[in-house]
Amino acid sequence: MAKFRIKRYNPEKQADAYYEEYDYDFPEGATLLDCLNHIKWNMDGTLTYRMSCRSAICGSCGMKGNGHALLACQRQAAHLLKDGSDTITIEPLGNMPVIKDLVTDFQQFWDKVDQVKPYLKTKDKPPEKEREQSPHEFRKIDEATTCIMCGACYSDCNVLEVDKNFLGPAALAKAQRFVGDSRDQATRERIKELSKPGGMWDCTHCGECVERCPKPAEPFYRIKELMAVGLKEGVTNNVGARHALSFVKSVKHSGRLNENKIPVESMGYFNIKGLLDLVPVGLRMLLKMKIPPIIHKPVDDVKDVQRIFEEFGE
Amino acid sequence: MKFALFTGCVARGATRELMLATIKSAEALGIDFVEMKSATCCGAGVVSEKNPVLTDALNARTFALAEEQGLDLVTICSTCQGNLKKSECHLDEDVEYKSKINHVLKDGGHQYEGGKIKIKHFSNILATPEGKALLKAKIKRPLTGLKTAGFYGCYVLRPSELSEYEDPDNPKELEELFEILGATPIYYPSRIKCCGFPIIMMNKEASHAMAGNALIEAVEGGADCVVTGCPLCHLSLDSYQPEIESMQKKHYSIPILHLPQLVALALGFSPEEIGMDKHIVSTVGLDKILAQHV
Amino acid sequence: MIKHDVLIVGAGLAGMRAALEVCKELDVGLLTKVYPSRSHSGAAQGGIAAALGNSEEDSWEEHMFDTVKGGDYLSDQDAVEEYVKAAPRIIYELEHMGCAFSRTEDGKIAQRSFGGHSKPRACFSADRTGHAILHALHEQVLKNAKSIKIYSEWYMHQLVIEEGRCSGVVVSDIRTGEVEVIHAKAVIFATGGYGRVFKITTNAFASTADGAMAAFHAGIPLEDPEFVQFHPSGLYRQGILFSEAARGEGGYLLNGNGDRFMEQYAPSRMELAPRDIVARAEQSEIDAGRGVNGEACIHLDLRHLGEARIMERLPQIRQLGIDFIGVDCVKDPLPIQPSAHYSMGGIPTDMHGQVVIDGDGTPMEGFFAAGECACVSVHGANRLGTNSLLEATVFGERTGRSALEYAKNAEFGKINESHEKARVLNQIEEIFQRDGSESYNDIRNEMKEVMMDKCGVFRDADNLKSCVAAIQGLKERCKKGKVTDKGQLFNTEVYEIIELGNMLEMAEIIATAALARQESRGGHYRTDFPKRDDQEFLKHTLVYPKNGELELKHRPVVITRYQPKERTY
Repeated sequence: MAKFRIKRYNPEKQADAYYEEYDYDFPEGATLLDCLNHIKWNMDGTLTYRMSCRSAICGSCGMKGNGHALLACQRQAAHLLKDGSDTITIEPLGNMPVIKDLVTDFQQFWDKVDQVKPYLKTKDKPPEKEREQSPHEFRKIDEATTCIMCGACYSDCNVLEVDKNFLGPAALAKAQRFVGDSRDQATRERIKELSKPGGMWDCTHCGECVERCPKPAEPFYRIKELMAVGLKEGVTNNVGARHALSFVKSVKHSGRLNENKIPVESMGYFNIKGLLDLVPVGLRMLLKMKIPPIIHKPVDDVKDVQRIFEEFGE
Repeated sequence: MKFALFTGCVARGATRELMLATIKSAEALGIDFVEMKSATCCGAGVVSEKNPVLTDALNARTFALAEEQGLDLVTICSTCQGNLKKSECHLDEDVEYKSKINHVLKDGGHQYEGGKIKIKHFSNILATPEGKALLKAKIKRPLTGLKTAGFYGCYVLRPSELSEYEDPDNPKELEELFEILGATPIYYPSRIKCCGFPIIMMNKEASHAMAGNALIEAVEGGADCVVTGCPLCHLSLDSYQPEIESMQKKHYSIPILHLPQLVALALGFSPEEIGMDKHIVSTVGLDKILAQHV
Repeated sequence: MIKHDVLIVGAGLAGMRAALEVCKELDVGLLTKVYPSRSHSGAAQGGIAAALGNSEEDSWEEHMFDTVKGGDYLSDQDAVEEYVKAAPRIIYELEHMGCAFSRTEDGKIAQRSFGGHSKPRACFSADRTGHAILHALHEQVLKNAKSIKIYSEWYMHQLVIEEGRCSGVVVSDIRTGEVEVIHAKAVIFATGGYGRVFKITTNAFASTADGAMAAFHAGIPLEDPEFVQFHPSGLYRQGILFSEAARGEGGYLLNGNGDRFMEQYAPSRMELAPRDIVARAEQSEIDAGRGVNGEACIHLDLRHLGEARIMERLPQIRQLGIDFIGVDCVKDPLPIQPSAHYSMGGIPTDMHGQVVIDGDGTPMEGFFAAGECACVSVHGANRLGTNSLLEATVFGERTGRSALEYAKNAEFGKINESHEKARVLNQIEEIFQRDGSESYNDIRNEMKEVMMDKCGVFRDADNLKSCVAAIQGLKERCKKGKVTDKGQLFNTEVYEIIELGNMLEMAEIIATAALARQESRGGHYRTDFPKRDDQEFLKHTLVYPKNGELELKHRPVVITRYQPKERTY
């Protein structure tokens, strides 16, 4: 017998959310959605959640199971009962206001998708037949186009938890879907937009979105692809891009980081405010002798490292 | 036990106390670390922003060095661990890709074969049955009464398809080690979240808020200190703690320890011997707690 | 009162394609009970047909013949001709919008084989073609946000017909429970199908006949409801779709003895015979005790395709097998069974999407329909795979244009707002007032069970009669249920009860029409009348509401190029 501990919220009835438990001895092979349906249809008709296709393609049934976002229809209930636990905790998606029970308000999510101009931009008149695109070029958008806009990545994004201004993983994956598309002709314009504060360089690399993504879209990898395009396009007048370039330069020079140089180069020599921000922590570390050695020693055989950089045109 | 030690850049730079504590605790445990002096930076997830193939090539060279030494590779940084595992997966899952990279390594006299060595974080080694037995046998000062909040450092956990971490949503390794050392683990949601370090220069407020939220959770959970396996998390949580406190208008001053420091304490080293006096947030309070339970 | 020049209900392929047409000149409201990107079109996997000839020479004539033969000669051939001729242009246009298609080595849209098509003409995006097109259209709708207002999570309750003309709809905002009237010069229904009437179905929970029943309640007949397609490869017991593309790429169907049984049923096309034939073959094997392990399932075997091919062409199918039953099709065959998939019938329209109300083609002014909810009829008695995405886009566009032309030259019709609102409010209030002990869940399950058993792949008079009787009994019981959620806010329970009411009525219509059609044709197979009977039944069914009962009439089939012949594969 499993206990489903479900976070309930209905502002029509009471202001605060609370947890309600339902016991259900679910059959083998039951998905979490099957269990919720059983509860709604046999035990408590007031339980409210979204669902439609039940085959992991419509993206309706995003919610949290045991604290992490998932698609209810895609997850075997048994897989949520680990380590002998008999309880599955179900909560609404995070980083969004809750409307009722497991139903959240997607307005901000869609607003951010809108922000990345989520449609093909072309300048040339299309040919009579199809635009050509090689299988190799198609593969560059293959993953991003699998996104079903379920909000799982958005729900668990570590940056969005503290900064609502961040575009978030889904919108950035959507952006990559166009930046990576050989048919799109607005790459530079898009990259410039994405390089602004709140854009791709605000991703903290935590990998949470890859972990939660129910499809192969895996936004963090798409964000990395965007960054590479940004550097290739030379859109480098921002801290994120300068940081990457300084980092690569340092590793090429000595095989490892020059921790004294990178912060300064990242902020930019003319970014007075940014540089001043570094002063307190710098002084503090200096007082504790935490400052890395001034003489930056390269790794052994650094020539071989530099040779590899050159082989790759860096 | 003998391993190739991949120190990473930060343990040789801003957090040299990590290196110190690693060497001391390894010596006390009888673990033989052979430092990889020719290994490069793991790329830290940043070199790959510019050139992902170059990153894999640099790391393939590092793996080849360990293969040449005939030793499993041990990291002392979650970021290094995660990035090396990423490259390992990329190389091992695509034979063609690996041979392309090996072609480049060849002129330096290196070849990465794959499957010969393992890449493990120091905490992984300690958490093996063998490592645990070793720890139990060598503990001189059980950390009884010390409440420790683990902070994993996200690279070691995610993406789990590349980090190959068994249970990234509910890891237990650090907490198991704490218990063996006699300390009491504190569980809190942020222990598996990001410390904010990667965007500390791009979005300072968000970065500090991430670190601050974790610290508040740990403090509210009753922790005496936070213990991390990642020197970058240490920088974010320790070196920037004064900024975080003033931004959040809260005062908690919670000490942040490197995992090897906690191990070394239990093995009987004094805080000074393992560089705890180098921290920004004073760790003096911990001495009192430990003294109460001798 | 909300006002739009044109109001479209349903935001799948047909609805969004229509919206993009109308928005060129007029203001559009696009209403959906889910979100546009959650529409069931997105679940279509295998492809969209067009005679592009990218991998083998092809022509619209061949596409037309395959479609007409596949439909067992019940298709209206004038409409089919327009439809297949428009196909290449429609595909190129989708491509120009940005739709991601799989490609040939020389950069053209790749095409694969599909059941009943004599040439490889299924354009595809791996095994998520519907998803790719749905999102491409959604992107264009977002781009045109100035002239297309989206109403996500609004439910359409009824049509407003005044003085023989459609002038709007009554809807409610699911989030607030607020009932509103939307005034429009023209209304387009693109509300999808009703597979949820059956126990085993590939369809989403949202596929509940809302549109068809709203039209029916306004006195508009439903055409050919007896023709329901059973897809040969729904996941055993669950119905989750495994695309026909799995067979298009070379997959085998094996019975319990490990035999490729299609040899006995369609030796020239084998696994790529049309769906009605393959589904019947499977059911015959199962009924003869040759299911896998004696169970009601067949094996879909892809192992010989190899991991690389599967990952390139059928990655989603592989993941579905792993997630839902723990079977990796690279290593093991997938258990499948016939599953209700598509409704060939629906709201009768002409080939411009104009809804018609009788066999003479009399239009219901201001009311249009497109996609699965409509019956044009291009699919006749059985639809070929990949022809539905094409239908939704081709007729979405055509219908959008028709509605646009109509609305440009029309004034807003009359609406008695308080009266229209009251009808819906009363219906909802009646549901809140019910205080019986019947379980809606039991009623829904019994409906699905009886429809599957008695009105499924094989039908006969006795079963259909008892099916109709059972459904009528369930309709009575449904009046004695009880709602537990009495709130206004996001009350999904009430909408599920309304949908159940629609499905029960639809089920009765399907079974009644099936009972009347005493022949076997396409997706409708009568064991007591196993032959096609062109003499008596080469005609469309029209089912009307009449004083609480059903009345059956007919509409002639349009035959132009291809005279009915015996259908063998």
